[in-house]
Amino acid sequence: MEQTLSELENQASQEKAAFGGDAHIVCDNLVRIYKTEGVEVVALQGLDLLIDKGELVAIVGASGSGKSTLLNVLSGLDVPTAGLARVAGIDLLAMTARDRLRYRRDVVGFIWQQTARNLLPYLTARENVELPLRLAGKRGRAQRSRSLLDLLGVDYCADRKPAEMSGGEQQRVAIAVALANSPQLILADEPTGELDSETSGLVFEALRTANKELGVTVVIVTHDSLVSEQVGRTIGIRDGRTSSETLRRDGEHAQEYAVLDRVGRLQLPRDFTNALNMERRVRLELESDHIGVWPSSPKEETGE
Amino acid sequence: MKALLLARVNAGAVAVLAVLTLSACLLVGGLPRAMQASFDDALRKDLRAAGADQIDLTVRYEPRGGDSGISSHEQFTQFDKAFRDELPPALSRIVTPPGAGTSHLSLKSVNTPMVGTTTKFLNVGWLSNGDRQVTWVEGRAPAATKDNVMEIGVARTAVGGQMGFALGATYRIGATDPTTVKVVGVFEPKRAEDPYWRHNQEFLQINEVVRPGAADADLYYTALIDASSLPALQDSDRRVVYAWIMGVEPGQVGTQGFDGLLDAMDDFTRELGLISPSFSPYVLDTRLKAVLESFMDELATAQTILYLLLGGLLVVALGVAALATQLVTERLDPTLSLMRARGGSLARITWTGTSVIALATLPAALIGYGLSYLVPGGTTPIVHLAPALVPLTALAFAAVRQANAHRSPLNERRGDVASPRPSARRVTLEILVIGLALGGAYMVRSRGLATDVATQGQDPFLLLVPVALTLAAALITLRCYPYPLRLVVRLASRGRPAVPFLGLTRAARARSFSTLPVLILLPALAVAVFASVISTGLTRTQTLAAWQAAGAPITMRTDLEYDAAAIERIKQVPGVETVVPAQTGRVQLGIGTQKLEIIAIDLAAYRDLAKDSPLDLPAPPTGDGIPALVSPDLRDRPKLDIGWQSRMTLTPKGEIASVPGFFHGSMFALVPFDANERAGTRTAVNALLIKGDADVAALTAAAKVDSRVTTYAQRHAAIVEDPLTEMIQLALLVVTLALAAYAIVAVIVSLVISAADRAAALSFLRTLGLSTGQAQRLTVLEVSPLIVITALVGLGLGLGLPAALGPGIDLSSYAGDLAVDPTDPDLLTPILLGVGLTVVAILGALVHTTITRRRTLGSVLRVGD
Repeated sequence: MEQTLSELENQASQEKAAFGGDAHIVCDNLVRIYKTEGVEVVALQGLDLLIDKGELVAIVGASGSGKSTLLNVLSGLDVPTAGLARVAGIDLLAMTARDRLRYRRDVVGFIWQQTARNLLPYLTARENVELPLRLAGKRGRAQRSRSLLDLLGVDYCADRKPAEMSGGEQQRVAIAVALANSPQLILADEPTGELDSETSGLVFEALRTANKELGVTVVIVTHDSLVSEQVGRTIGIRDGRTSSETLRRDGEHAQEYAVLDRVGRLQLPRDFTNALNMERRVRLELESDHIGVWPSSPKEETGE
Repeated sequence: MKALLLARVNAGAVAVLAVLTLSACLLVGGLPRAMQASFDDALRKDLRAAGADQIDLTVRYEPRGGDSGISSHEQFTQFDKAFRDELPPALSRIVTPPGAGTSHLSLKSVNTPMVGTTTKFLNVGWLSNGDRQVTWVEGRAPAATKDNVMEIGVARTAVGGQMGFALGATYRIGATDPTTVKVVGVFEPKRAEDPYWRHNQEFLQINEVVRPGAADADLYYTALIDASSLPALQDSDRRVVYAWIMGVEPGQVGTQGFDGLLDAMDDFTRELGLISPSFSPYVLDTRLKAVLESFMDELATAQTILYLLLGGLLVVALGVAALATQLVTERLDPTLSLMRARGGSLARITWTGTSVIALATLPAALIGYGLSYLVPGGTTPIVHLAPALVPLTALAFAAVRQANAHRSPLNERRGDVASPRPSARRVTLEILVIGLALGGAYMVRSRGLATDVATQGQDPFLLLVPVALTLAAALITLRCYPYPLRLVVRLASRGRPAVPFLGLTRAARARSFSTLPVLILLPALAVAVFASVISTGLTRTQTLAAWQAAGAPITMRTDLEYDAAAIERIKQVPGVETVVPAQTGRVQLGIGTQKLEIIAIDLAAYRDLAKDSPLDLPAPPTGDGIPALVSPDLRDRPKLDIGWQSRMTLTPKGEIASVPGFFHGSMFALVPFDANERAGTRTAVNALLIKGDADVAALTAAAKVDSRVTTYAQRHAAIVEDPLTEMIQLALLVVTLALAAYAIVAVIVSLVISAADRAAALSFLRTLGLSTGQAQRLTVLEVSPLIVITALVGLGLGLGLPAALGPGIDLSSYAGDLAVDPTDPDLLTPILLGVGLTVVAILGALVHTTITRRRTLGSVLRVGD
């Protein structure tokens, strides 16, 4: 049916709901390119991501897929080359140096893989937790640090220096440090990467506690299946794009979904395409309740 | 985060920075103080050597036909006060109060003839504190003039003798209306060597003056009168001169405020002109200005060299302070990065980092500055300025570095993948420095460093030229050294062993060894080598000059003769090794009035005596008759007919520039020892050249004739023991040592700074199968090329600087007036310096790999994470 000019005009002036709506974290077509002498490395190639407030999400992917770059962008430590990145309504691409500082002070907290990198070796656990509060010039430091260490079950480490703590204890104190400024979002880059499975469990439990008790959104980049299999949503990243999502609901079996981007692209899992020998072209057929994907027949391939 | 805690955590690096700051402040604060002290000492020595009569401010007044209005001591004193009131502050500070030091008043008659003679003049004079300066040994002190007879006192030296004064005798003096004077006392000066008498020599001795065309000398003497006789001179027909002597205390004169002093003297002369009576002026009679100006010329070269050294030292000290600051900031980096990530503002991060540097440098700088006050000497602005620059540089460097490092959210560039390309701004700055240095070098060569310094002061731009040249050389080295190295890398890549290829590749990338050490190492080495070249050249020339002046370790001369027995006795004196006899004389050349200095000596024996000395003596003259070596001006004469003990004819057989210890310049000749015997008379020895270390008193005793003895040691001491010469030598030594130490520190600190980087790289390579030995070789190959190249360039520059500055630096006044030749340097010390540094650097690299080996691979691999 042909549209009249006035109908088209009316349609154009209508406000569309923005991508992601009021999601807590919104990444739309995010691109990050590193430049070294004459060589460009595209770490993120148009990544889309939506995470709601209070979610506990794991991000998985092979080495070099762009997980850490995404985390650096979300933490405000890195600036994307193009696209949209919004956290708690703040546009990460339009931030001034002052905004960035405020963002790090009030919105986000993070945890690195290396236990030693999270904490200053010559400060006690309590002093480490108080450091972000001190930097932001906030009051009630002692009380806050005590309650956080208590919440994460490492109150007995308060007066110990990192060297006197186990790896698990150090990471839990690091979580307390990340939570010190009451951020809305916690980003953790392989927080259990250096730990054994038992200790990993404790650290993950601490993150889950922070998520449940304090309502903080938690994004964990991980290789650890122990972690990725216990969160409600696991997002897979491949070649700088979100490729799959695995959802788990209480009592249900995990269900893996492919991600359909805004222009309708999706990545078929490699296992599927290999099994049916799909290469170059596939045939699509729209049915009433699904879309069928067929490998192109040899006849079609040869053009007969 | 408290800066104190950070400082405590990084105590090692902070201590290094503190120690370097302290030592730098002590050096750059203390050296100018010592320099100032030596300048002042030298000036005072010159002033004392010139004598009180030359430097004191004497106002003379000779009333010509008018009434002086001075008839009593009190009136004299009032005038003194009036003159002193006119003194500008710069002058009144340096003159002694009335009656103290050499300050006094005098009234003397001039050219007063003795009645009845034509050649004797008896002046009379009054000295304000004459009574305190003399002892009356006969008779009594003169009293007031009575019955027209003026009482006078004369010195014992004037009694009898040529003037024929006698106690109680009366004389009549004056051409018109003569005055009768009576000798009532004979005195002796209490201390004849007192500078006071330099103004009044005419009271102590008889002066002989030969008038042109006169057969006999005129005799002048001045006798002492009492103050009560002043009126008798005031209105007599005698020519009299009043003098107000304001003694200058050399200890109060310093090189600071030099210009003010010269201006003050001009002002004072002008003031005297304004208050002079119309008929006769008050004249300021002093050579103080001339003495000061001649000293300024001598000072100029010393100042140039010392400021040059100080400038080099300061630049290197600032560089080392910056390097140590880099060490500390690198240590702070992880903490500050974490603080930044956890919400620290840039201002907060920069403030915290800079506070740690302030904690390390400010107390150290204060202590260093305080300690520099233990060095005796004067305070000039540079004494405060230079030590302040050290911590300020460190703080500024730290602030800029940290603000820069933590400004962007995350570093985009990966330093291990590619070395950053220099910014356009930096390249422009480097080209500017090189251009300025080359332009400056051209100007220095064309007009010299010390030109017009005496009148216009030091030119700071030209003084910076040598330092700028070394910086320019360092920049060029940094930019260009990878190119030849890459060629070597290409060759190495074809070889089978991996270590040379890897090591040289890492070296050619210049990542492991940053810019700052080269910028320190090269100037340090260049200035140290320059200082050592100048120092050894100076020492050598001083030795040569002392030999030239003395001729032998000990030289004895007499107006009589040393007979064979005396020579034998002298040979027996303990310590005497060799004695070479000689006969000297001043002889008639031809039959006219020309005189020729001559020495008859066995030149072969003399050469043997002086074989360990720097003297370059020619071979003895040979030939028939009396062969001679002659001064350059007599070279072209085929024969020299002279009248010595008898007439003889010399045949010039060669040229000799000087006879050390005896003659130099022109009109002299050296003949064989037996020249007089060949001419038919005998040799009368009147000079002995002695090798050995014998007691001078024992030698004169053994000679048994009146002898003048000069020794090499005396001559050498006279040249070396000059405050300016001593200061230059001391400064050269201190600067050489300090710069060598700084260069080593720079190498070690930069090795420490790059240690983590290198450890990680080596560890990764070790996982690929690199053995410990290979790791060591790799490190040495990585570190040494730049150090070796820098050392070579520094060495070349240091050796070239004296020649490049050429006539700009004239050191002859510190080397007994002999020109110091910097183009023929003693290479031992500079090469030792260069090689020493390179060896220390390479040893440091080896030690570093040994320490790394002790750590487990796992822990090393996490270095830098």
